[in-house]
Order: sequence, then structure tokens, then C-alpha cells
Amino acid sequence: MALRPRLRGGLNAVFWELWSRMEFLTYMGAVFEPLSLALLVGGTIGGLILGATPGLSPTMAVALLIPFTFHLQPAQGLILLGAAYTSTVAGGAVSAILLKIPGAPANIATAIDGNAMARKGEGARALQLSFLASGVGGVFGVFVLIFLTPVLAKWVLAFSFPHLFWLAILGVTIIGSLDTKSFVKGLLSGCIGLWLSTIGTDDIYGVPRFVFHDSLTGGINIIAALIGLFAIPQVLDMMAKGRSSAVIEALEVPRHAILSAVRELISRARALILGTGIGTIIGIIPGVGGQVAGLVAYDQAQKFSPERDKFGSGHPEGIIAAESANNAMVGPSLVPLLTLGIPGSPTAAVLLGGLLIHGIFPGPDLFTTHAAVTWTFIDSMLIGQILMATFGILTAGIAAKISRVPMPIMAAAVLILALFGSYSVQQSMGDVYVMLGLGLGMYGLQKFGFSAAPLVLGLILGPIAADNFQTGSMIAAAQNGPWVYFFTGWLNILLIAMVLGSIAYSFWINMIVPRRKAQAQKAQAQKAGGQGHD
Amino acid sequence: MTDPVSKPAAPASANRLQHLVPALIVLAVAAVVAVTSWTQQPADVFVFPRLVSVFFVILALWNATRAVLGLSKVGTGLSLREALNILPGALVMIALIYGAAKFFGFYAASSVAFLTIATLYDPAKLTSLRAWLVRIAVSAAFMGVIYLLFAVLLRVQTPRGLFF
Amino acid sequence: MMKIIAGALVALTMTAGSALAQSYPDRPIGVAVSYGAGGATDFQARIVTMVAGNEDMLGQPMYILNKPGSGGRVGWNWFATEVDADGYTLSAYNVPHFIAQSIKGGVKYDVNSFEPIANWGSDPAVVVVPNDSPFNTIQDMVEYATNNPGKVTLSGAGLFVGHHIAALQLEKETGAKFAYIPTKGGGAAAMKAAIAGDVMGGINNLSDAFRAREAGNIRILAVADLQRNEEFLPDVPTLMEAGYDVDDSSVNFRGLMVPAGTPQDVIDALSATVPEMFNHGRVVGKMAAGGSPMKVMSREDVQAMWAERQAFLQDLLAGL
Repeated sequence: MALRPRLRGGLNAVFWELWSRMEFLTYMGAVFEPLSLALLVGGTIGGLILGATPGLSPTMAVALLIPFTFHLQPAQGLILLGAAYTSTVAGGAVSAILLKIPGAPANIATAIDGNAMARKGEGARALQLSFLASGVGGVFGVFVLIFLTPVLAKWVLAFSFPHLFWLAILGVTIIGSLDTKSFVKGLLSGCIGLWLSTIGTDDIYGVPRFVFHDSLTGGINIIAALIGLFAIPQVLDMMAKGRSSAVIEALEVPRHAILSAVRELISRARALILGTGIGTIIGIIPGVGGQVAGLVAYDQAQKFSPERDKFGSGHPEGIIAAESANNAMVGPSLVPLLTLGIPGSPTAAVLLGGLLIHGIFPGPDLFTTHAAVTWTFIDSMLIGQILMATFGILTAGIAAKISRVPMPIMAAAVLILALFGSYSVQQSMGDVYVMLGLGLGMYGLQKFGFSAAPLVLGLILGPIAADNFQTGSMIAAAQNGPWVYFFTGWLNILLIAMVLGSIAYSFWINMIVPRRKAQAQKAQAQKAGGQGHD
Repeated sequence: MTDPVSKPAAPASANRLQHLVPALIVLAVAAVVAVTSWTQQPADVFVFPRLVSVFFVILALWNATRAVLGLSKVGTGLSLREALNILPGALVMIALIYGAAKFFGFYAASSVAFLTIATLYDPAKLTSLRAWLVRIAVSAAFMGVIYLLFAVLLRVQTPRGLFF
Repeated sequence: MMKIIAGALVALTMTAGSALAQSYPDRPIGVAVSYGAGGATDFQARIVTMVAGNEDMLGQPMYILNKPGSGGRVGWNWFATEVDADGYTLSAYNVPHFIAQSIKGGVKYDVNSFEPIANWGSDPAVVVVPNDSPFNTIQDMVEYATNNPGKVTLSGAGLFVGHHIAALQLEKETGAKFAYIPTKGGGAAAMKAAIAGDVMGGINNLSDAFRAREAGNIRILAVADLQRNEEFLPDVPTLMEAGYDVDDSSVNFRGLMVPAGTPQDVIDALSATVPEMFNHGRVVGKMAAGGSPMKVMSREDVQAMWAERQAFLQDLLAGL
């Protein structure tokens, strides 16, 4: 009995807390001022183009835009950055789908089924689904940022070194089943990626590891690697067709009605919900970032889908899960930044610089003293998501025509973009050399059943696992030892259980199920044969 | 039941010998990684590579065994014809990335490389003046866009080399 | 024939090069930052270079090149070995980081590989603890660490950076033993560990700690400098006031430098204009807004400071 008033009081407090967050509506007007709106539209369209250019990652796009914001009011500068961040993430899907070259690590999973669809002549449909899913995921993510920031701030701090280590291991467990028909080659690709991630000078001790050439001292840059691993095999594949078949390749691109894309998205709500949910959760955890959100969501959507076998050959759910996840992560990834001043991702780190330059410190007074700037920024991301989706959908038909560009021109263009893109990441020739080396190697491996997606996943997860393990071990040594540090506490145990579950599931789906299927088929064939005898 | 797209018309799989080559190369890499990471010091820096190398070697051995037994079936391999088709383009690519781009300057080398690849793989006759004009126009237009995007908009300073 | 043309071209570019020295700078100038975009050094470098393009300054804009990796070693290795010494690529330096690294070895640079231009900022190391920490003063922490050697975990941005040097100095002075935890991902990761209570305390940049304290996330126990920081942290005692003889050797100095071998007239031109650029009203305003303490020093002062740090660090790191 005594509980009820307290419960009511609690609910009341929650209600008022949420109600106070409705404040975001009052600043909506500022977004629609002429200059702000122009920046928003410009940032969105520019971001889409930059994102769609192979080799230009969201982090780079935002960093390159910071100098422009010097000349703007704080709120307007942040509108530009927010719009660019939002739309570069979604823009990366364009090249992922049409060229199988993901614009950023976030779009790797999109390339798997998206490009398969584009090859079937369904590029326009794939793009529309991708932008719709991005928009839905993105808007949801921003709403999470608006309403749940105070609640989630505590969550951010719950994840310490051992938990991030287990999370990375959880990511590693999905490697084997990602975009490959061969379990062992998938795992092996992942292992190669994990190894590549250890190349370079160790961050803490300054000791070189596997530095066979000077270009490798700084390690393998993930964006340059991404370009090499995806773009170069594409170019070589085009060249392999030789001179004769160039024209025949040009596919007719059928127009695709936008309404039917909306209907399809609704009918595939499972993938959309999975993708949005996973993207939101991963976005909040600092240090993991959106790089893996798309891949994890893709993997889960595949596991939960009854049409599991069709993933990889152009299944729309693959695109929907991946793209809703990587845009849903955008909003929540700013929670650690806005509440604690801790950037949860490289892009958030650049945004922090953009805030500080205008004298805005992340922290509690962000929503009081600087409320106008903060809310305008968040509102612009909300409107930006909607603008991005609308603009993307409307131009999907035109963009899809890119597959009609003749093969020789396309091959040459992708090569030149790979050169300029990999160079401009850090203006380093070393990155360019590594890019082509990895690309040529990957082409060879790809022809024999290895796959770039698990390799990149290994490359991304390697440092997360290694760094958190190393730092965690040092703390553990000063405290109660590694067993207590890495294996106790509810969060550790929960994550370890998820790791074990994921491994068991992988073995089940990759080793046991195919064998049973084969046996069942054999039995059926025998039965049919037996019946034939009678 | 059978999906037409996942089964291409091209030869379904490379032969056993072809599968053996990458399997052995990967095994050799795994061995190098294992030896390097277990022999180098300080151990603190090599903890993670050592862990990875264990899995790397086991998986590479498993894969090589499968290849030897002829169980490796996934992957189409590379036919001689495809390899010959790739060769000239790949040479242009390597020359551009590993030498020309830095030596002659990004824009100069890229323009030439673009035109060369477009010409090499164009099915039109080499003597066709019209095809040449189209290719040159496309190359120039494309490099113009690249210049606008990287040099003007993003202000990336690319190596200038001998020319530009 | 080709050789002659190539030779002529090389000669042409070389004469053009010497002619350029008079009109320096005639194109944008790159500034390499050995840390990732968004870090304190990157963020400050972007602010202090923003007025370079003004007509009364260099007349040419400066742009930032991020070369992160291995605590700055990757960027400075690149800067020492691969950059043309023509004044069109500068680098930001972090002292004591690069000097300490060169003393520990394994890098391709030392204090003589670079020529300083000017200093823009000094960011002292401060000792921070989580809000709910039992330590209320620096004495509490040192006493606990003396009684429980190696049990007090302190996060910092890496090995042989200012944070680590401050911890080493404090250990040497008090005889206490800390468990210094270098985090990858720089000062931000170290700060997060301190805020979340993953470690018992941390050593971090004054500028970042000031912001974290403003946000109500941490407490600051002491600052490793000769004087209190009156602008941002007037209430925080120095380690010397707390009774420990720890000087300002761990203060993180940031400024611009060129590779050794850069023409003297280019160095002169830069060292005359760059301090003015740092003192520009807009720069000072933005730096104050960002909570970044400034300290503009001329080329001569920086040269003296480098030499002094070199001698001190050689001594401190000798036993390690």
C-alpha cells in the first residue's frame, strides 16, 4: 500500500522529466530561419555527396567543415556540422549499394545485399529502402537523444575496460557467419583482419610490430584499408571482363515507385526494429561507435530471419537492418559527449572541437545556459534526418543510373577516387601504398571464397579488444587480479553469456544444420528411390 | 528453392590445385605471424598478436587440410583468360599508385592513367577518332570534378611531383 | 632527350624554389598534428592557426594535417624524415612528450631534429579523482599509496607524456608507488576512466579537467605547476604548496616548429609573425572560451625551454 504513492510520485517525476524535454519543440523555429535552413539543406546535400564518394568518411567530412564554422554563429555552425554528420553516414550507402564500395565502415553491411540487389537491376529499390530505413532509424535515434539523455548518461559510465573487451569479443564471434559461404574461410578472414590491426607501432610502449615497410609504422588506417579491400577488387573484377563485354553490362534500371518502397519497409518491420534497436544501444556505448552497428544488426537480422539463406544474394532485410542501425546510432552516440564531455566516437571527438570553439562546454548547463544552441543543434539533426531521407529517396532513381556508366570509364574512375580518397585521409602516401597492397591481396583471396567484410570487422574490433584487454589487465594487476576483474560483476557475466551463446549458435547454424539438412535430403532421396523400386 | 543469382553461370568452383595456392600462402603468413609474435619482445606488446596467431595458425591449418582433401569448394578462382584481361589494367594501376602519382604529380598521372585504362578496355576500334575524342573529354571532365572536390572544396594538398 | 627535359624541369623548379623564399609564403601552409582530430592539441592548433590567412599575418591560410598514432611518434617520425624543409609544412610540438620519447629511444628524431617557431600554450598536469573518491586532498592519496604500494590506480594519456612524468616525479619525491595506467585514446579516455571510477584517480590536462569539473564530474586535488592557475583553477593548490617538491617539468607546452634545415629567412619570417598570430584577439578569445590556458613564447624562449627540459628528462628517465 505504501508503495503506491511512491510509485505515483516516481511516475510523476518521470513524466515531468520527459515533459521538460519537450522543450526541443520551442527551438524548432530557429532551424527554419533562412540562413539556418540554407545551411541545413546545403549541409545535407553536401554531406550526401561527400558520403557517397568512396574514401570520404563522416569523421573527415566533419573535420573538414570545422573551419567554415569559424565564421558562423555557434548554433548555425553546429547546424552545418550536425547535418553533415547525419547525411554522410547515410550517403555512404550509395556507393556501397551501387559500386560495392562502402563509403565508411558503417556501410560495410549495406554493401553485401545492397550491391547484390543493384546487380539484379534493383538499384533504385535498394537505395530507396536504404534511405527510408536510415530516416526511420535516424529519427528514432535523435528522439532517444532528446528524451533519454539524462537516463543514459549513467549507462555510459557502466561500461568499463573489461566490458568493452567482452563486447569486442562478442563482435568477433559473428565473424564466421558474415558474408561468406565457407565458415572456416570466414573465420580465417577475420583472423587476418585481427592480425592486420596489430601492425604498426604500439601506442603505449612505442615498440614496432610487424613493420615490414616504413609505410606501416603508423599502422593500417581503417579508411584507407576499406577503400583498398572493397574498391580495388571491384576495379579488377570489371577489368577481368575484358574489352568485349563492356556494353552488355549496362543494365536497364527500372523505375521503382516510392510508395511501394514504403510498403515494403513496413512489411519488413522485424529487420527495421532489430536494426534501430541495435544501432541505438551500440551508439550509446563509448568506444565502440557506429563502425560495428551496421554489421552487428545485419548479423542479427540474418539470424532471426526465416529466409536466412537468401541473405547475401540481395535480400532487402539486409539493407534495412544495416542502414537503420548505422543512422540510429548517430543520435545516441552524442549522449556521452553532451552529458560528460567524453566523445564516444571519432566523429563525436571532432564535434566536441566544434562545440568548444564556440565556447560551449558539454555538461549539465548545456541544456540550461546554452539551451538555445544545444536544442537548435539537436533539432537540426532531427530535421536533417528527415531531409536526408527525402532527398535521398527522390534522387535514388537518378543515382541508380550510375550502373549504366560504361565499364572502362567506371574502372578508371573508381581507381582515381581510390587514390585521392586514400591519400586525403591523412595526406600520406603510405596509406595509398597500403591501400593498393591490401586491395590486390584481397582480390586474390576473394576469388577463393575469402571475404572482405569479416576481414574489416577483425580490423575494427582488434584494437578495441586489445587495448581494453591491455589497460584492463594493468588495472586488474593493481586490484584483485584478472579473474575477478574480467569475470565478475553482472555486466561481465551477461556479456560472457552472450559471447558463449553467440559461439554456440554459430556452430549450430554452420556445422550442425547443414549436416542435418544433407542427411534429411539423403534420406528423402533414398525414400524416393525406394519407392521407385516398389 | 535454388536461387538463380547465387549460382552464376560461370564455372562454379576453382579446381583443387588452384585452391591449394591461396591456402598455402595464408598458412605461410600465419606461420610468419606466429613465429614473429612469439619470438619478439617485450611480451606486453605482443600479448594480443600471440593470442591471434594461435587461432590464425589453427584455422589456416584447417583450411589447408580442406584444400588438400579437395573439400574447398567456395570461390570461382581465376581463369587464364580473366588473368590476361586484368594484366594490362593492373600494371597501369601499380605504376600509378607505386610511382607515377608521386613522381609526376597526382593530377597529371591520374589523367594519363584514366585515359589509358578507358582506352585499354574500350571495345571501340583504336583507330576511331570519335572514340578517342569521347574518352579524352570524359577524362578531362572527370579530373575537373576531382580537382573541384579535393583541391577546391576540401583543400587537400596532393603531391605535385614533376608536373602537378 | 627525356633526360634533358627532366633535367631542365628540375632546374626550373629549383630556381623557382629559391625565388619563392623571398615571397614566402605564396601558398597555404600545412600544420601537422601528431594526435587525432578532436584532441586537445588538434583543437587548439585549429584555433591558433585560424587567422594565418589575414593580410597582416602570413597572408596564406594554415590547414591541419592529422598524423595520429603511437602517442605522437608516428607524426613526428614522419615530420623528421619525410617533410621538405621549405616552410610549407609545420608541425605542432608537445613538450615534454617528444623529448621524453627521443630519450627513451626507438624514434627517428631528437631535440635537434626540429627548429621551434613559437609556443602558444601551456597545459599543466593536474591530479583528479572521481566525485565519490575517499581522497579529499593530495596528501590523502599519497598517504594511501605509501601504505598500499601499487594499489592506487592513476589514469593518464600514455607513457612518457606530461601526465606520466608528473606521476614519476611525485613517486620520486614521496617514495609512494602508484599504478600508472596509460590509456589508449589519449586524455579523453583517461578522463572517462577517472569520471567513471574505473581508476582511483587520474592525471590529466588542466583544460580538460577544468571542463570536467565544471560539468560536475570530478574533483581536482592538485596542479603540477609553479603557481596556481588563477584564470581557471584559483582554488586548487600546487603540488609544491602541498609540500611535495614537484616543479613544472610535466607542463605540456604546445607550439609550432619546422624541420631542421629549413632556410633561415623562412624561420625568421615565421618566428616574427607567428607569435603575433597567437596573440590575435580572436585567437585569445576562442582559446579562453575553450578553457585552454595560453602562454605565448618567442623562438628564443622556446629554445631555452627545450634545452632545459632535455637535461631534466635525461636525469629523470635515466633510472627507468
